[in-house]
Amino acid sequence: MSGALLAWGALLRRDLREFSRSRSQLGSSLLLPLMLLAILGTGVSSGLDPQKVRDSDYTSYLAPGLIAMTALFSSTFAGASFYQDRDSGILKVLLTSPHSQRSIMFGKALGSVAIGSIQATIVLLLAIALPTIDLQWQYGVAQGVLLAVGAVLLMNVMLAGIAQAFASRIATMHGFHLLMNLVLFPLLFFSGAFFPLVDLPWWLRLLGAVNPVTYPVDLLHLAIYAESGSGYYGLAIDLPVLAVLAVLMFALGVRSGAFRRNLR
Amino acid sequence: MSSSPSAGHVAAPAVSAEGLVFAYAEGGPRALDGLTLAVPAGSRFALLGPNGAGKSTLLSMVNGLRTPEAGALRLFGAGPDVAARRQVGVVFQESCLDPAMTVRETLVMQGRLFGLRGDRLSTPIAAVLATMGLEDRADQPSGQLSGGLKRRLELARAMLHEPRLLLLDEPTVGLDPDSRRRLWDHLIEINRQGTTLLIATNDVAEADHFATDVAFIKHGVVVAQGTPEELKRGLKRDAVWMAAPDLPAEAIAAIAALPGVGAVSGPFPEEPHLHVMVDDAMGFVPALFHTAGQYVRGIRIERSTLEDAYFEKAGSRLVREPVAER
Repeated sequence: MSGALLAWGALLRRDLREFSRSRSQLGSSLLLPLMLLAILGTGVSSGLDPQKVRDSDYTSYLAPGLIAMTALFSSTFAGASFYQDRDSGILKVLLTSPHSQRSIMFGKALGSVAIGSIQATIVLLLAIALPTIDLQWQYGVAQGVLLAVGAVLLMNVMLAGIAQAFASRIATMHGFHLLMNLVLFPLLFFSGAFFPLVDLPWWLRLLGAVNPVTYPVDLLHLAIYAESGSGYYGLAIDLPVLAVLAVLMFALGVRSGAFRRNLR
Repeated sequence: MSSSPSAGHVAAPAVSAEGLVFAYAEGGPRALDGLTLAVPAGSRFALLGPNGAGKSTLLSMVNGLRTPEAGALRLFGAGPDVAARRQVGVVFQESCLDPAMTVRETLVMQGRLFGLRGDRLSTPIAAVLATMGLEDRADQPSGQLSGGLKRRLELARAMLHEPRLLLLDEPTVGLDPDSRRRLWDHLIEINRQGTTLLIATNDVAEADHFATDVAFIKHGVVVAQGTPEELKRGLKRDAVWMAAPDLPAEAIAAIAALPGVGAVSGPFPEEPHLHVMVDDAMGFVPALFHTAGQYVRGIRIERSTLEDAYFEKAGSRLVREPVAER
């Protein structure tokens, strides 16, 4: 028994030592709950009045947000395949092929975009199929579907770039997951996915305006849920902002080369 | 100094390195410290040195994973740009396979990375599967293969696009003797067909038996280069390693003057043992104990190999095998 205690003590010390050395783990474990308290708490208190969503139908309001959430999580965590490729040695095989590093990173990001887009499109189709979700299609069904799929694609392009840029710079998959959680939850919560931004306090509206996920969520609401453009940024803002962000973030991810120092 | 084997020479060496410098950390120790080397096209060229000598670092520059901080590197007379990688196949030291992909999927992906498709892909895949004896494993995930089969798959993958230069980093580590022999049979056949092999190894016997050219590497520089015969020229038949920590200089001189004794090397700062090359160890050992027996704590006798040549040139051993002390 004393031998087992010794072993348990050694294992416990090792894990605690690693935890204390991992600043990202320590930071995210404290920051995330604090942010949720501040943002989600205020958002729900101030924004989630059923009277503020159409016909007090919160389920239908939530549908575009859930499509965005699916894209957000699936495309960014598909970026974690970077670590599998690095640790299995496949990344070295790819980098010794007759293609530039950027070309390889571009190809890898495409995988993330495809996975995120497929999963988000499935949720979109489910939302269309479910009778309990009342979609308005203010631009018509065909145009609305096109707009929604476009929003999903652009959003995934942007997110794949962000995820790849992070993955390239963070040495371990563990650290990547922690940081992505730290980034993704706040992006989601003040994007308008779960409650309208329009009547929130000014500082939350400001955070919403600088949040890149706000624009695809706004676009999805306009495309499938909203009766009119009232209370939204509008296509004229959403589309160009999202397109520019997608190009910039994707380029950032494709150009990332910091991972080379972590190659074995 | 060296000569090419069966495939014949072309004008430009397969690899030409001049004054390569590289450190993994800024201001840290240099993995390559002005390394200069020429690998003749068509050769089976072994980079022989202990772990950390700079062999894998050199290979990672040839395959494009790393860029030298200083110096010049050329492949077949041209700069090692992205396009030049079409001429290079790589087998890394550690297994670099996706365990979920089947043997065929692994080869298909590699072929597409090198621009092959249709018949230009299916034909070489069938050929390398047959050559490497992997036909009946084609639909098996690589994660289920034995170590020897994985190595063969990696060799098949590296050969798929018919490279002119094949880089092999410790290709036989972890393989059983039978798998090693078969792998070398494949490599020699590949070389006969004209592919240059550049092999990083610390296995003296393999370098001695299979390489046409050898470079001794230590601390990121080449300390000697030639054919195994050239490097071993002048070595006596037997090598005697002695543990004799208190051996005085006059005793070393007395040992060196014994009949049939050739080069006497050491002890060096990195190598505390005395290394003596002799015509016949059976005759030398009694004379040694008669001359300096009181200092001798242990002794090991071997047939002389490239290891002895390396020791003479580099002043350290490739693999530290203990000399049992009494």
